[in-house]
Amino acid sequence: MKNTLPCSLRSHFAAQSHTAKALGAAFFMAYLCLGWNGVTMKKRMKITPGGMIIGALLLLMAFICLVPYYYVIVTSFSDSRLIFEGELILFPRGFTLKSYEHLMNNQRFWECFRVTVLRTLLGTAFNLVFQCVFAYPLSRRYLPGRKFFMMFIVVTMVFNGGIIPTYIVVKETGLIDSIWALIIPNLISTWNVIILRSFFENLPASMEESAKMDGANDFVVFLRIMLPLSMPVLSTITLFAAVTHWNSFMDAVIYLTSYQLQVLQVFLRDMVLQLEMASFFGDMIMPDQVSSLSLRNASIFLASIPIIVVYPFLQRFFVKGVMVGAVKG
Amino acid sequence: MRSKTRTGLVRALKKHKILYLMLLPGILWFIVYRYLPMAGVVIAFKRYSFSQGILGSPWVGLQNFRMLFQMQDFYNVVRNTLVISLYNLICGFPFPIIIALLLNEIYNKVFKRTIQTIIYLPHFLSWVVFGGIIIQLLSPNSGMINAAIKALGGEPVFFMAKSEYFRGIVVITDIIKEAGWGAIIYLAALAGIDMEQYEAAIIDGASRFQKLIYITLPGISNTIIIMLILRLGKILEVGFDQIYILSTPSVYDVGDVISTYIYRIGIVNMQFGLTTAIGLFQSAIGAVLIIATNAVARKYSDVSMW
Repeated sequence: MKNTLPCSLRSHFAAQSHTAKALGAAFFMAYLCLGWNGVTMKKRMKITPGGMIIGALLLLMAFICLVPYYYVIVTSFSDSRLIFEGELILFPRGFTLKSYEHLMNNQRFWECFRVTVLRTLLGTAFNLVFQCVFAYPLSRRYLPGRKFFMMFIVVTMVFNGGIIPTYIVVKETGLIDSIWALIIPNLISTWNVIILRSFFENLPASMEESAKMDGANDFVVFLRIMLPLSMPVLSTITLFAAVTHWNSFMDAVIYLTSYQLQVLQVFLRDMVLQLEMASFFGDMIMPDQVSSLSLRNASIFLASIPIIVVYPFLQRFFVKGVMVGAVKG
Repeated sequence: MRSKTRTGLVRALKKHKILYLMLLPGILWFIVYRYLPMAGVVIAFKRYSFSQGILGSPWVGLQNFRMLFQMQDFYNVVRNTLVISLYNLICGFPFPIIIALLLNEIYNKVFKRTIQTIIYLPHFLSWVVFGGIIIQLLSPNSGMINAAIKALGGEPVFFMAKSEYFRGIVVITDIIKEAGWGAIIYLAALAGIDMEQYEAAIIDGASRFQKLIYITLPGISNTIIIMLILRLGKILEVGFDQIYILSTPSVYDVGDVISTYIYRIGIVNMQFGLTTAIGLFQSAIGAVLIIATNAVARKYSDVSMW
């Protein structure tokens, strides 16, 4: 990799204006509506028919991605009696917060919500600590055995024991039906270790040397010098880990068998299943009752809010994260 | 010689004591949660019972596999997995490339980034959320799609319960959810193409299409081949979450795939030996495929994963 040092420094400075960027991304749509012409007029290329078709195709794709989600949000705020079957509505009809009220009073929702928040916080923190502590020694080029340890972890990217043997190990280590079953079996991602390692590798070696001259040991160098310099990559890893934990579904289905301990995604799944059942018999909308449609969509929306909130932060790391992986992996 | 390396090892351990200590928890974790399950595939050749454990359970040789190959269900799930995977490959694989190429033609940064923001989003929603939305849209009573069918004078269709639609739904939803995100890797490859080539082509009067054929596509062909190899290695893997959310028992004949089958028969019905055998079969095929496609790619182009 050429230009590694300026590159890492640049992203370091970029992280300072992190919040500003996120705000910017959040206001993107508004900006788009208001400032569209102003922006395009200045340096517009000649608009060709080909360019128009390409633009239209992309707009269509964006539309397909966005509309279902928009529909979910709008219906969740609507009075169900006023939504007619399958109608596409642009704004909430008979705006009401009833579904949300209903959901807030749902004991089960809160239990699952609590478990999901807990697993996301704990899981992300554990991921971060263990991955960093593991990746740092692997980034020291002078460490004997470094190649062996890299092979040791890369092998696990290609081969794995499969669902059942992993389940048995999780069971034998006593994690079944505890929140740790959602955290420990995926403690370290090889992919993240590789990304972290290549970031640590590119930090200036001179800092480590001078700190060691002053008597600092490896752990102090790692903690006091390397980690503070690694904020860009740490935030990437944190955000991706948090999103994964929040969305994770399969491990909860497999490892959590008791009704008391469940995650939000499983709660949602149950709601969706009810929906499929309802499709058989027809939605029964009773007067003065929150219909399953609005309620379902309210829970779908609530469960995805955290993702939507961190999404702008995530976005600026996309290409970088993928690139590092592509180059090193 | 031997003692020399050993003293070298001791000296290295002493010198980098702290670094090795930092490695230790991770190494232990990898051994327990990654390598032990790999060793655990031996239960494919055993009659596993919890009370006896992995080591204590009696060997049964190839009995699990024999049973497997006699089960109609096994052929069904393998066929379903293969068919869905192939559909995904044929219909789904080109999409990220097309999206990347289209985005590459856009010079307006605001427009480009807005589109990117929107089409990456579904990737970050869980399958439960996304699948829930899809089920809703396709619902016979309240779904938008059926409302459109009714408006056009047709009969509403219960898409989720009809076997003939299930695979199509799986493939299309997968494209909507992941194709935008999949474009990132190609965009990165496109960014690496030398701009001078385009400038020279413009001077020579090349059209947009000619630039695409002679510069852009050759420029990302390596990435395409690598992605194809990786994809072929996963031909027997269809994501659990998606199928689990979208399928109903009435579409099991076409929708049940290896991962959902292993879950149902293995975890729920506790048939550990049998389902581990399925898993082993799956990884063996995957490994063979990835090695074979890599060999083919190396022979006919200069791209290879190793």
